[in-house]
Amino acid sequence: MSETFVSTTGWKPNPRAARRRRADHLATAFGMLMAGILVLVLASILWTLLSRGLSGLSAAAIMKPMGPPGSSSGLANAIVGSLVQTFMALLMATPLGLGCGIYLSEYGTETNKFASCVRFVSDVLMSVPSILVGLFVYQVLVAPFGHFSALAGSVALAILAVPIIVRTTEDMLRLVPTSMREAGAALGATRWRVTLSLCLRSAKTGVLTGILLALARVSGETAPLLFTSLGNQNWSFSLNRPMASLPVTIYQYAGASYEDWVQLAWAGALLVTMGVLAINIAVRVSARRG
Amino acid sequence: MTEIDLQVAKSPEVALAVRNLNFYYGENHALHDISIDFPARRVTAMIGPSGCGKSTLLRIFNRMYDLYPGQRATGEVIFDGRNVLERDLDLNILRARVGMVFQKPTPFPMSIYDNIAFGVRLHEKLNKADMDARVQDVLTRVALWNEVRDRLNAPASGLSGGQQQRLCIARSIATRPEVLLLDEPTSALDPISTARIEELLDELKEEFTIAIVTHNMQQAARCADQVAFFYMGRLIEVDSADRMFTNPKQQQTQDYITGRFG
Repeated sequence: MSETFVSTTGWKPNPRAARRRRADHLATAFGMLMAGILVLVLASILWTLLSRGLSGLSAAAIMKPMGPPGSSSGLANAIVGSLVQTFMALLMATPLGLGCGIYLSEYGTETNKFASCVRFVSDVLMSVPSILVGLFVYQVLVAPFGHFSALAGSVALAILAVPIIVRTTEDMLRLVPTSMREAGAALGATRWRVTLSLCLRSAKTGVLTGILLALARVSGETAPLLFTSLGNQNWSFSLNRPMASLPVTIYQYAGASYEDWVQLAWAGALLVTMGVLAINIAVRVSARRG
Repeated sequence: MTEIDLQVAKSPEVALAVRNLNFYYGENHALHDISIDFPARRVTAMIGPSGCGKSTLLRIFNRMYDLYPGQRATGEVIFDGRNVLERDLDLNILRARVGMVFQKPTPFPMSIYDNIAFGVRLHEKLNKADMDARVQDVLTRVALWNEVRDRLNAPASGLSGGQQQRLCIARSIATRPEVLLLDEPTSALDPISTARIEELLDELKEEFTIAIVTHNMQQAARCADQVAFFYMGRLIEVDSADRMFTNPKQQQTQDYITGRFG
């Protein structure tokens, strides 16, 4: 005995469904509008940067060091200074961040008070205004020695980079399945061997991505450098002396009343942006390969 | 004296002797007074419904539970004259002598060759030629050599699931253990890969004492010499595979084997 299904509502139009559909369309339109505004803002920034920066971006701007206004000077020492300081910062931040992230992921279980404390401090550090970090380093590494130094600038940048590396390292290691750790232990490997040879190796793309993200983050920082490495009009390769950097030079030049300095500031801004863009593309490529 | 003790008396050589073993996950009493022998160079299958404690028992033999705080065992598991539950036992040596293969294949993020060499390097210093020979030997024994001989330096993750599991078995026997623990090694594999691994067990038992946890009754019947049935953290019955599947003594065993519950 079979019965035909009979609906109680049939094909009658449902006023509530119509209302829901309208709300749905409205929400979609709102989301698209906001996304459009965001893209517009970004495009306008990039357009301004390109149109103003490209004209100042000559061979001289890249090859020649900074100089007095009207002397057809460039940004060479600031470019090199930025590279030196961010590289030094990464050199300090990477081992610290990796070690910390490994500790939190492999040894810092939820019940471990010290680990929760470290995790909290690291997360707070990530949102500390960067000028505070600059002030701190000024107090510790500049004031006692009586002079600004590139080393102090690097330390300030490193402090900003560490929490980013800690967080990504911990997150990436936690993605490594427990079965991998058990399989390593089952062969008689010690915990550190499992961590280094198996977990870190599985997570290496993600960990590398974190380091690159930290690099991208600190390469545009100005505030922590203002009263640490200060800036320098001339070539200097000493870590013990003030050193020029692109962000600080942009800060100094952009507000100047000399037309060529302002143009160099735009060129510098374009260079920093292209650098960060290049790092972000590297991150995407490395993430895709992993 | 119980059935179990009679079984012990008959065994000529015992690789693992479990006595009055209890296990706790924190407050949860997971295994109750387990006593069972694992005859040397035989396959012992552990069967029972999910959550009955068979995997838990397996993970005691190589002290896997030590990785997790709050898990503890009391009683005795005698292996080569020592209780493996002793606090001061060297776990790295124990795990070299008692190998384990898991439910899901777990290839390490390295080449096929290094997957094998990784475990060996932890315990032995071999020169290149000896290591090459060891790698070839274990891969041959798991019937993988002909499939991978031309790509030993390729990442192990590129192998199929069945190949990966055979690689994991090869990796476990490369450290030359005496006991091999298999935790549902074929439950993630297709029927052909499963058949291959079952064939493999037959050959491996000439050298190793094998303890295998399985949900698959046919697998237990095909591969095992001895079968142990667990239920709710207790060992209900242990006997030769023949008797266990044709004429079990306990009603619960009978019910489980015939599929009336579990």
